[in-house]
Parts: sequence; C-alpha cells; structure tokens
Amino acid sequence: MKIRSLILGAAAGGCAAGLLVPATSSAAVSEEAFNALSDMVGKQGQALEELKKTHAQDQLVIQQLQQQVGQTSQLATNAEQKAEAAAQSQTVYQAPNPATSASHNFIVTGDAEVQFGKSTGQNPTFVLADFAPIFLFRANDNILFEAGFDITLNNNANADGTRAPGSATTVSLSFAQLDYCLNDYLTLAAGDILLPLGTYSERAAGWLNKIGDDPLVRDWLPGSGIGARLQGALPVGQSGQLVTYAVYVANGPSSGNPTNGFANAGDLDLGGNVGDTPNWHANPSGGGRLAWFIPWKVHYDLELGVSGQTGEWSDNRTHLWSACVLDAALHLGPYFEAKGEYINTWFGTDDLGNLDPHGLWVQAAYKLAGLKRDWPVINNLELVARYDNSDDAQGTYTDRYTVGYVYYFSNTLLFEGDYEFLKSHGPNALPPQMWMLQLSYGF
Amino acid sequence: MTAPLLAGVLALAALPAAQADDQTATPAAPPAPAKKKISGVELYAIHCNRCHPERYPVEFDQRQWQTYMLHMRVRANLPAGQAREILKYLQEEAGY
Repeated sequence: MKIRSLILGAAAGGCAAGLLVPATSSAAVSEEAFNALSDMVGKQGQALEELKKTHAQDQLVIQQLQQQVGQTSQLATNAEQKAEAAAQSQTVYQAPNPATSASHNFIVTGDAEVQFGKSTGQNPTFVLADFAPIFLFRANDNILFEAGFDITLNNNANADGTRAPGSATTVSLSFAQLDYCLNDYLTLAAGDILLPLGTYSERAAGWLNKIGDDPLVRDWLPGSGIGARLQGALPVGQSGQLVTYAVYVANGPSSGNPTNGFANAGDLDLGGNVGDTPNWHANPSGGGRLAWFIPWKVHYDLELGVSGQTGEWSDNRTHLWSACVLDAALHLGPYFEAKGEYINTWFGTDDLGNLDPHGLWVQAAYKLAGLKRDWPVINNLELVARYDNSDDAQGTYTDRYTVGYVYYFSNTLLFEGDYEFLKSHGPNALPPQMWMLQLSYGF
Repeated sequence: MTAPLLAGVLALAALPAAQADDQTATPAAPPAPAKKKISGVELYAIHCNRCHPERYPVEFDQRQWQTYMLHMRVRANLPAGQAREILKYLQEEAGY
C-alpha cells in the first residue's frame, strides 16, 4: 500500500512538472534549463522503474506470506482434528485415574488359623489349617465388592465316612457380595450375602471369635445365602445411639434329597439351593434384623437385636423353615465384654412332623490388663468362658462349658487355648471332653 | 406384608430429601444448648473394639483406610456419618 502511494505520488509529480514546464518555457526556456528538466524527468522515470520492481518483489513476498498462512491454517486444522480425535478416543478409553481406579483400591484382608487339639477317644493332632482371605474391591466411595473364601486341608474320606488315603484342599466361597450405598441410610448388598441372623456370621466368625470353635447352635442357621439385602442405620440423638435395620430375600434352605418326593427331617439342607438347576422351590425366603445400639460412654455399650427368616425349604413346597434369633452384646470398659444369642428354628417334615432345633450361647471375656498391674505377659492375656447348648429336636441334647484364654502377641496375632466339658445325650452325642490350641492371624 | 415393607424402604430411600424439606419449611428455632458431638476418635473407640482388636491408624495408608471403612460400614452396619468421622480420624492419623 505504501509503495503504491509512492508510485502514484511520483507519477503525479511528473505530470505536474509536465504541466508547469510549458508555462515557464513559453516565457523563456534556455537550453540549460531544458536539459536540467530533462534529467529530472529521466531520474523520475528511473525511480518509477525501481518502485515498480520493488512493488513486484513485495507482491512476491505477499504471495509467499499468504501461502505460508494457508499452510499454517492447514496445520492448525489438522492439529484440531487430531485433538478432537484424541478427545473422542479418551472418552472411550479413559486413562486410569488413581483416585477412582478399582485396581488401586484393591485389598486382601482376612485371617488364617492353625489348630492343634484332642477330643475324647482321639489322638492329639493338628486338626485344622485354614486360610480365609477376603478380597475387597472398592470402585468409589459407595461401591464395594467383597468376597471371602475358606481354604482348608482335609483328609480324604469314603462315601460312608470311613478313611480314604490322601488329603484334599477344600476351597469354599464364604460370601461374595456387591455393596452399593444408595444414601446415608440405605445400602444394598446382593450376591452370596452374609445373613444377618444374629451377629455371629458377620462379626464373630474366624479369628474374631475368642474361642476356636463355633457355638453348637449356629449349626441350625445358614451363614450366607444367595439373595439381596437392604440395610442401614439411623443415629438417635447425639449420644451415639443407633437403630440398625436389615431386610433381605434369599433362596433359603432346600431339600438335599429332592428325588424321593418327600421332605424328611434328614433332607433339610441349610447351605444348598444356590442355583437354578434344579430349581428346588419357587419361592425365596425373607428375613431381617432390627437392633438398638446404646453406648453411654466410650467402651461402655449395649446392643440388643432381634432377627428372623422364614420361607419354603422342601422341594415339594409343603413345608416352611423359619428361625428367630435374639442377640445381645455388652461392653463394660475396654477390658470386659459379654455376648450371646438365643436361636430357635422350626421346620415341617413328612416323617417327624414339626421340629424345632434350638439353643443358646453366652460368652464372657476379660482382659487382664484391666487389673492395672505391671505384668508384661499377663497384661497380654484375655480370659474367656462360654456356655452353649443345643437341642436338635431329634433326641440329641448337648450342654457345653468352655474355658480358655487368648494371648495377644500383637493386635493381629493371637494364641488361643480352650478346654471344653460336654454333657451330651442322644443318637448324635458328642465326646465329653475336648481341648484345642489355636494360632490365629488376622491380616 | 410386601406393601408396608416396600413403603418403609421407599421412605428410607427418601430420607435425605425429606430432611432437606424440613429444614427449609421449619422456621428457625431458638438455638438449643449444643451437645458435644462425638469425635472420630471416640467413634473409633466405640465401634472398632466391639468385634476385633483395634487396628492402629498407621497400619494402612489413607486410600486403604477408605476401602476398609467402606467394608466396615457395611459389615457392622455403621451409619454413614459416623463412618465418615472414623475415616477422617484414621486418615489424619495415618499421615500418608
């Protein structure tokens, strides 16, 4: 633009000079003046030619610049398209986010036990090696998948119960449930869920139990079942009191001998009915638990609960299996606890009519550290006592008294010893005495 | 039997919304004498020791505690608010 102005200016100047010259030359034009004017016009012509050249060069430069701008624009367009493609690919294949990635929120917890013991009529022996891992996968703050296994080593046995050579490792799925916290008051758990019949299955089994074996009466309840559960807790006031609740549906017990067309007492299978082939009975069982937790200061609390379940058990759909559990737990300071459950079950049979296996267990424990003595070994000891009984409603009744201890090597490594006295009568009576030592590790 | 159960479940599911409505509809009441809120460390002492020996906060890192507390919230049926307070305490004490 500037160059064009110069060219036009020079041309205008030349024209103006041309117009002025005749006016002056008409008066008196000397040869010297004419030559000077001629030189000046010649120089202006040269300047004009140079300006034209410069203009042509500038035009070339402008064209080159425009070409470069075009190329740059093309590059920018390509880059934009690539970025868009990358963004689209990211929405499909998201890069792992450490904060939410399940692979970063995976934990193995659980426990392991080894047990050495002797019961009347048997030789002392290592009776148990148990590895019970629990796998926890947390997807986010509200979603958790948890699965627990029980891996044990057992002697082989023939079908009639007699000994067979060799041993076998048994891997059983204790539970496998997906937990989804719908809100602060409701959580959905689905899968092979631990059943809230009392608190023992969820909070006392394995290394959590201060005695090496389960209460006898727990044999009358299923520990888990395939189904779904809704649960939650409501705080009451600011004192820490809670009302907790759970309702669930599960396949429920089934008949372990469905082909004979009858539902006899021996057919009851509390742990079966986990698939659809065969579909033992159409209707699932329903159940729930309601509890009240009352702490009055730290380490001083009482929990009372009632729970139950009912539903069909026989594949001929003629009989129900039902259970009711009353549970309680008391803590008086950090050193003393007592807990127990009363369990009553009912089920109808074709051969024996209505049966009601039932029983209870109560257990108390005291940590000797509560004596406030400077005894390093004694301070790691906890004394435990339990009374439990069981009536199978088919002629066998057992009273059992257990005393024992827990020695805490650490908060996760426990060495337990128990002695049991039994008064057992009936066709399935248990040996009168038993003792066991157990090393437990919770991880 | 099913209908009352379903109604109860739906009522529970709607609890947060109902509480929010209450807060907006009720005129501001005179401030009641403030009760001391139970702290995370107190809740930790109250709940954890009920079933197992206490696990020390430094045994796990902050993210691991997040997973453990979600597990414990379900297993022990702890209220969400209390579980959050315990988690906060454990994560602060874990320090890493």
